[in-house]
Amino acid sequence: MTRGTLIYIVQRLAIIVLTLLVVSFVVFVVVHALPGNAFISQRVHGRSLQLLLHEYGLDQPVLIQYWNFLKGAIHGDLGVSLYIRGEQVTPLVLRELSVSCELGGAALIVTIGLGMTFGVLAAIRQNTWVDYLLTTLAVVGYTVPSFVIAGLGIMIFANFLGSVTGGAIAYSPVWTGTYGTIGELWLPALSIGLYTSGQITRITRASMLEVIQQDYIRTARAKGLREWVVTLRHALRNALVPVISILGTTVVGILVGVLVIENIFGIPGLGKEFVESILQHDYNVTVGVFTIFALLIGLSNLAVDLIYTVVDPRIRY
Amino acid sequence: MTPGKPHLGGAAAGRHRPSQAMLGLSLLAVVAAAACGSTSSASSSSSSAGLASSQVLKFPAFQNPGTWDPGEADAEVDTEFMQNVFDNLWRFDDSLNIVPDIATTVPTTANGGVSSDGLTYTVHLNQSATFNNGDKVTAQDVLYSWDRAVALQGAYSANLSAIAGYSDVQKAAGSPPASSTGSPEGFQQSIEDGLWGCFRGKGTAGATCNSSLELSGLTAPDGLTGYTVQIKLANACGWCLAAWTLEGTTGAIVDENAIHSDPVNWWTKPSGKTDGMVGTGAFYLASFIPKQSMVFKAVKNWWGSPKPTLTEVDVDIKDPSALATTVAAWKQGSYGIIGYGGDSGNLDYPTIESITSSTYSKDLLTQPKGRTTWLSFDIGYPKTGGPFVGESATAVGLRKAFDLAVDKTGLASTVCHDLLCTAATGGLITKGLTGYLGDNQDPLAQYDPTEAKQLLKQYDPTGTLTANLTYSYNTGGLNDPVAEYLQNDWQTNLGIHVNLNPVGDASQFISNRLGGQYEMSRDGWQFDYNNPQDWFDNLWGYLATAAGANTSGFDDPTYDSILKQADTEPIDQALPLYKQLAQILQQDVAYIPLYYSVGNFLIQPWVKGAGSNTGFDYYWDQISILSH
Repeated sequence: MTRGTLIYIVQRLAIIVLTLLVVSFVVFVVVHALPGNAFISQRVHGRSLQLLLHEYGLDQPVLIQYWNFLKGAIHGDLGVSLYIRGEQVTPLVLRELSVSCELGGAALIVTIGLGMTFGVLAAIRQNTWVDYLLTTLAVVGYTVPSFVIAGLGIMIFANFLGSVTGGAIAYSPVWTGTYGTIGELWLPALSIGLYTSGQITRITRASMLEVIQQDYIRTARAKGLREWVVTLRHALRNALVPVISILGTTVVGILVGVLVIENIFGIPGLGKEFVESILQHDYNVTVGVFTIFALLIGLSNLAVDLIYTVVDPRIRY
Repeated sequence: MTPGKPHLGGAAAGRHRPSQAMLGLSLLAVVAAAACGSTSSASSSSSSAGLASSQVLKFPAFQNPGTWDPGEADAEVDTEFMQNVFDNLWRFDDSLNIVPDIATTVPTTANGGVSSDGLTYTVHLNQSATFNNGDKVTAQDVLYSWDRAVALQGAYSANLSAIAGYSDVQKAAGSPPASSTGSPEGFQQSIEDGLWGCFRGKGTAGATCNSSLELSGLTAPDGLTGYTVQIKLANACGWCLAAWTLEGTTGAIVDENAIHSDPVNWWTKPSGKTDGMVGTGAFYLASFIPKQSMVFKAVKNWWGSPKPTLTEVDVDIKDPSALATTVAAWKQGSYGIIGYGGDSGNLDYPTIESITSSTYSKDLLTQPKGRTTWLSFDIGYPKTGGPFVGESATAVGLRKAFDLAVDKTGLASTVCHDLLCTAATGGLITKGLTGYLGDNQDPLAQYDPTEAKQLLKQYDPTGTLTANLTYSYNTGGLNDPVAEYLQNDWQTNLGIHVNLNPVGDASQFISNRLGGQYEMSRDGWQFDYNNPQDWFDNLWGYLATAAGANTSGFDDPTYDSILKQADTEPIDQALPLYKQLAQILQQDVAYIPLYYSVGNFLIQPWVKGAGSNTGFDYYWDQISILSH
């Protein structure tokens, strides 16, 4: 790693920290400004409500509350949940983050695996039925939202297949533990991945088509290299640069997909929490989730920028 | 790629192979993955009749627990679980009768449990009762549990309000100190520290007893480790026994040994010897992963009866948006029940309709629940204004006009398809509960558009009073279609366009409603215990006003006076008085009755003993899993 790269990383990390501060402050102030709170109900009102607000420090000025939150957050303590009263937020959101990472990671594998495979196949079989089929699939994948794919998947693999086979072979839409098994994971991952892989397919195909017409590819073939060596080692590596350039936005797309898909499949991850915590006025959880999402996006973009230097040695920071 | 073929020409020759193979592999992977995720309902089955070898019940819950601390609990979803972990002195049986639980008898004047003046209760404890950590339940546990609940001042602390010394304890406990960490630890710790020296920690080093936190009306005549508790009331109370019996709330008996070590988070931890959620019920908490799952296990050699057949109850915590996948999983046999845990209102109409028209229809249990929904008028908040405020003939007449213009039976069939609710024709108190007036006995349930129009013409001939009215409600569930139905009925029958004010945030809506900020609003109540006091104290009159919960602002000296008297009488003498209160509200047209809620459960045929009454799920110790 060069000194320049190191300085670049430090600068980016400083920007990420600054971003986290801004995000946490804005979210904290906004969620506290929303009408309603986590405690009030038909049975909790009047003195009971005032006591709870006082107990949890919610009757203090919002800036003081934020300062208290920040003091804890610096030490890794995001405070306590208001909805599950007294529950520590940090272990809660970290566990949920790990669940989302599992799903997001699986979706990323589907995205890159399917997207690049389809893109390469479509390029090397240009203008054949394979090309038409895969590019059509890519367009369909790119235009159909992940929640529609999820709904269709549940109908086909859980309901239809379940009723046809009497439940012997069917997708079981029950997430049985903290982390999903392959049997539980594949459909949610596919729902997210199909959507984002469409874009990868199209970019990979276009990039590959450009690269395989280059002289050095012809030279490689003339040297007698096997086709898969030419395709994978010589063509694909150079075709990767534009693909990686959209990987940052793809990761964001996957994170957005996680938000939706976790709710549909009842997966206990950060995406499910994102919506729930806002509806439940669980302030500390909401701020924690937003901050972690901001951190994830910041870090993934940094990672993509660093991967550039590996794939394309011409790029230097 | 086939070996030995020329790599350039061969590429052309074998051009279709990689793509076909890839596609084929993809298809295979999908089918294989489907198979990986398969669940065969027959997997754990046995062909022989009787009990299945695995007695693990699994069901989803659509809400997270807010708190399982009986001193602080305030939600049905929580009490539905806690009734299996904690016991009270008495419990409600499946027919909502009060029966002995930790107490040996239900106290009456006849059996000597209640003094002739009705002010003193003597309770004998079952000497075999133990907590699941092995601690014996003695008088000190009752005293500690109830003192603590009063000091915490939670939503249900008023259930103990008739006991002598109630106000003194709350005054001594005071308000919690302002929190700089956002944690309630300081307040709860001070209560635990204050009580530790009074009971189980008595005599231990450093333990002191803050006697001001002890209810003066709660004593142990045979000593703290004895089995007799005496409860002295500050005033006669006809509803107290029912309120003390309400499971999972302030009447529940908790273990000071377990709470003392972690006063805030003890209930989130699995049950241990001296920590975690220790109770006296048939099940104990073995695992709790917030927002994910809970596991309860049967207590071995449990002291009570019936002895649990289930060995374990696994609960997946789901978001309501995952209903479709959850029902699909139930159909596959992954879940034994849907609807338990206070979630019987979560099955929507399309789901129920699809069930009723399928082979699963026999597995659908429909059970009226003790929840009534009505419309409240602003009667007592002049600041909010509107034509319904006050007791003038015009205000009452217009309320009556708006009431008679609504077809309640039509609402139940149109909005609820006669599946999700039934028309509220028997008064505010739901059918099946004490205080229900009888079918079609509520005059406000009538539908008479002709008289409605006449009343409108009489009291608002120019239409100025009723112009620009607004009906407010919190969105979601039946509330949106109900609002549209009401709007349509008023438009059709009165010629009045009422604006709808859907409020997306339920807590904001409730806050505004309790503050009397709506001229017409959706209102409702889910009963806590089977006594009319639960309704008439909490929703209208001076008590509701004092508690900040009088939605309509209705208050009337006659109502208050009858209420005071009714609350002190035994139920057989109090019932006619409560019916008078119902009549007062009807004559005043304080509300428009809309519907009674109906719960829907999906129960596998191999789950025996599961069910629900108007109030609660049947206890888990009644359930067993049959061979399937």
